[in-house]
Amino acid sequence: MTSKTTVEIADRMSRKRAVIFAAAAGAFLLIQVITRPVIGGSTRASSAQTEGWAINALVLMLCLATGGGLVNGARLRALINDEVSRSNYKTAVGVGYWVAMALAIGLYGVQGYTNYTGRQAAYVIVTLSISIAIFVFSYLELRAHRDA
Amino acid sequence: MHERLNNRLREERARLDLTQADLATLAGVSRKTINTVENGVFIPSTVLALRLARALGTTVEHLFQLPSEG
Repeated sequence: MTSKTTVEIADRMSRKRAVIFAAAAGAFLLIQVITRPVIGGSTRASSAQTEGWAINALVLMLCLATGGGLVNGARLRALINDEVSRSNYKTAVGVGYWVAMALAIGLYGVQGYTNYTGRQAAYVIVTLSISIAIFVFSYLELRAHRDA
Repeated sequence: MHERLNNRLREERARLDLTQADLATLAGVSRKTINTVENGVFIPSTVLALRLARALGTTVEHLFQLPSEG
């Protein structure tokens, strides 16, 4: 049996999650722009930055895939990751997939004009596709909470 | 394939003097689910439609209609 308190807690946590996810994706993107410019085909990334990027990207992917809140109880998690959130997740992942495909094709096309490594291409594709997927998820979640 | 589904969720909820949170508690779903279904943003699954109808003491057919059915 679901109590009203559980529903209210799930509601608050769901809103908070949408804001935190968007902020995390924004921070991730901003850090990449500031510390690791790839425009011009070369990066000035140190090993620590590269590893930091990979860990951050994996954490964001894990957050999107699980919906976060792994420490919450099963009932609360089920309410937070409800049918609407699962649908929003599918839409966000779909958008992320098409962004990744478009970037991959774009990078394949410009390879003749500028040189970059496979690692740099993966960096651009992963950074933008995961960030955009999370932004879309956050937007859809916040829209779902908005009253008509 | 219909992209919209008319619903009487708000009217039925008002008839029973329930808030979105009350209905969410009765149906065992989140308030977000009630809000999106009520506003036509989200088309519920059969299971969810049945749960909502049961919580409101009505039928799925009464609660949801295809647009052409008025």
